[in-house]
Amino acid sequence: MPFEQVNSKVVRAHVSQATPVLSRRGAMLGYDGRVVFRPVHGQGQGVGGMMGRAFAGESNPMMAAEGQGSVLYGYRGLHVVVIDLKGETLTCEADRLLAHDASLTTSVEMIAQGGIRQAVRGAVTGQGLFTTKVNGMGSVAVLAHGGAFAIPVNGQPVGVDPQAYVGHTGNLNVDLQAKVGWRDAVGRGSGEAMQLIVTGQGTVYVQASEEKF
Amino acid sequence: MPTLHADKKVLHVDLMGESIRAAQGSMVAYTGNIEFKNAGMGGGGGLRAALKQRIAGESISLMECTGQGRVSLAQNADDVTVVDLGNEVLTVESELILAVTAGLQLDVKFTGLQGVSTGQGLATTTVTGTGQVALLSHGPIIPLEVSGQYPVVVDPDAYVASRGQLNMSMVSGVSWRSFVGEGSGEPFSLRFDGQGVVYIQPAER
Repeated sequence: MPFEQVNSKVVRAHVSQATPVLSRRGAMLGYDGRVVFRPVHGQGQGVGGMMGRAFAGESNPMMAAEGQGSVLYGYRGLHVVVIDLKGETLTCEADRLLAHDASLTTSVEMIAQGGIRQAVRGAVTGQGLFTTKVNGMGSVAVLAHGGAFAIPVNGQPVGVDPQAYVGHTGNLNVDLQAKVGWRDAVGRGSGEAMQLIVTGQGTVYVQASEEKF
Repeated sequence: MPTLHADKKVLHVDLMGESIRAAQGSMVAYTGNIEFKNAGMGGGGGLRAALKQRIAGESISLMECTGQGRVSLAQNADDVTVVDLGNEVLTVESELILAVTAGLQLDVKFTGLQGVSTGQGLATTTVTGTGQVALLSHGPIIPLEVSGQYPVVVDPDAYVASRGQLNMSMVSGVSWRSFVGEGSGEPFSLRFDGQGVVYIQPAER
């Protein structure tokens, strides 16, 4: 059952016996029907999941909503973007996951698997060394400061500010590019020295702010 | 000349080899081949503007975006409003400028003592010429029409920009009540007389 956007900052999820919903712990605003909330530990299975829980930031306490009814979700007045997945994979930071259908599988992935460049990217952009991948069929609600807009990527590279990057779907390659010149060294840079260059086929989501949370 | 498209909290600009000046670090995304470079001293206004800014403490750090493609600019999830200027002057708070099209001149105007008491600094920034300016505001911007008959009085913390033949003055509501802690919380206001438009935001800085 897809999530219903109540307003720009609140989503409604319909919960039934067959379709429980996972969400960030404490993000429930209200519910009707007979719904129970149960803590779930970490996301992702296997070594990656365990590593994710053990290390830096990318371990978000989650909870499951089970039963019969509908639940309202929201968090700190941040804008919520609903992304419907039809078999593709959404990559984003765990901090940004508000809620998703329990039928979707999440996994924590070490950026460093992509080599040293990727590890550097994680460290420099403050994204940490882990990202979360969500895939399957269902809805995901993602948090963004000031709302997010989608930029389709097909072939032509798209540049994104690392702080404004929310997530992406599809077959995309995200690479950090540093355009640091002598101007930056003397404090006369444009303030855009670090850019994420997105190439491939898919959609990248960007928020209207450079605030991380 | 490129046109600025405001989409709520994001400004999209399609560039075809031209350039625009934008607040430093405000790029959130771009497609195509676009270069970002520091607009130089005084936000491209030259040495005189730079000197004045230094004295006035009204700093504008702008970068020049040049190339082919679409740039998306945003800052701190603030609302974006595009104002068209047809050979006129817009007076604006410097930190609320998101982008200006080429051909517009930025300068600093000294406002005297009234700026000190409102915490706005000694000066405000003026944008002169023909083109488009993108303004930032916390919440949707509200244009207030000023006609000859009545003045418009606004809170200095909510003031964003003004244009037209306007005379800005300071209204003080300080009385003995303020000193004994019974003030209304609005000790100072900005008063505009004349013909023009005053832009305010639904929030106080």
